[in-house]
Amino acid sequence: MNVETSVSGTTAVATVSGRVDSANAKDFDQALRAIIDQGVSGLVVDCSGLKYMSSAGLRVLLIAIRKTNAAGGGLALCRVPEHIREVLEVSGFVRLTKVFDTPEDAQASFSG
Amino acid sequence: MEVRSELHLKLDKDEPRRVAEEFEEIAMEHGVPMGIVFKFQLALDELLTNVVSYAFDQSADPVITVVLHFTDAQVTAVIEDNGRPFNPLQDAPAPDLDLSAEDRTVGGLGIHLTKAFVETLDYERKDGWNRLSLVQPLSAHPEEHA
Repeated sequence: MNVETSVSGTTAVATVSGRVDSANAKDFDQALRAIIDQGVSGLVVDCSGLKYMSSAGLRVLLIAIRKTNAAGGGLALCRVPEHIREVLEVSGFVRLTKVFDTPEDAQASFSG
Repeated sequence: MEVRSELHLKLDKDEPRRVAEEFEEIAMEHGVPMGIVFKFQLALDELLTNVVSYAFDQSADPVITVVLHFTDAQVTAVIEDNGRPFNPLQDAPAPDLDLSAEDRTVGGLGIHLTKAFVETLDYERKDGWNRLSLVQPLSAHPEEHA
């Protein structure tokens, strides 16, 4: 797994690639926490390079959703591969976070 | 074509990934559709993560095996362990998917996904062993035989 980050004021895009499972969910969690701790309230997670994510990754997303909601922003996902989207649907996460086609659309959702 | 693979796991949190990746490699070679490969490896990963995380005390002498079996008609996996009795199909809490992010917990989500993604799941406790079997038919994809 790899997370690349681009922070712009109070919003940021985290591009996650590879596999997120119980073996490395801790690293994913630390990466998102480090971004939010910089004062980011609107976090976009770009999933275009994400090959695999289990419930361990959902747990990390849930924590980040709570933290960004509490900061007055939120978390949005974009470019989600079809099989990962199915995980989000079956787990009910599509009700907790918005899913956009592009990072630009996702970021724009925080500036309205 | 028929492929059978038996894997032995150590009590280590990295082991479910090894099994998931081994499964993916064989399944791709076997021509299993990508959607099924993803869902079945997620189920294997979730169930094995439960076993390596919760089934054993420090003092236990753990034995965990997985047998993967691929035929033209179906993919099966049998997970056996000598840990404490646990039927994840019944004993895991069902998640409430209607709660807000603030009230949600992720307990039981892995099993919820597993049940949604694999056609047939069975649990049996016998002679001190937990035995979970997963069966996914491949024949429901007529385009593969066109």
